[in-house]
Amino acid sequence: MEITTRTQQDVTLVVLAGHLDSNTSPEAQAALDAILAGGGRKLVIDFSALEYISSAGLRVLLGTAKRLKQGGGALRLFGLNETVREVFEISGFATILTVVDTEASALRGL
Amino acid sequence: MRPGFRIGIGAETRWDGADRVGAKFAEFAEERGLPAAIRRSVSVALDELLANTIAYGGAARIVVDVALHPNRLSVMLIDDGRPFDPFGREAPPPPPGTALPVEERKIGGEGIHLVRRMMDDVRYERRADRNVVVLTKRL
Repeated sequence: MEITTRTQQDVTLVVLAGHLDSNTSPEAQAALDAILAGGGRKLVIDFSALEYISSAGLRVLLGTAKRLKQGGGALRLFGLNETVREVFEISGFATILTVVDTEASALRGL
Repeated sequence: MRPGFRIGIGAETRWDGADRVGAKFAEFAEERGLPAAIRRSVSVALDELLANTIAYGGAARIVVDVALHPNRLSVMLIDDGRPFDPFGREAPPPPPGTALPVEERKIGGEGIHLVRRMMDDVRYERRADRNVVVLTKRL
């Protein structure tokens, strides 16, 4: 998996490319932990190059969302393909995480 | 001969093994021109089941056998670990806590629930001293 990040004012944009599964989730976890440790409180994750996510990846997102919420931060996701969307719907993540369609709507009002 | 492949994971490879199976499956799906949605769903199911077996199954060897039939894809996972039926417990629909807010939400049992929902058929049997799981995805 490839993880790239860039910051735009106080928002950190993370691009996850490839697949977020049992093999790659430790790497994604480490990258997100580093952002939070560096004081990042507003995170936008770009899923448009993410092929699929399994429950190991959901765990990473949930842990990050919880920590951001406790610290008064925000997490928004966009660009989910149909499979990722299906995984979110089956697991109920579609309603507990903030999922939008485009980067512009993710950044709006953040 | 029907198109397909067989790949084994030894105890020494562990997590790399699951990744190797995923990569082999992606390559096969590409060669055969399987629709992206099918390729991705099966990749999720493979990851869930392999991760479980590798983490808890105590298997020395796992074999994955993929066969492409005219109207379905069949994926068989065979391991020599402890007897364990991943589908043995009825998944409560919806799974525990699906509707809870993010602070209260816990993760557990999600993986198998995903496999059940994303595949068209899931089966388990104990065959001699092997666990055999067969997943079917209609094309």
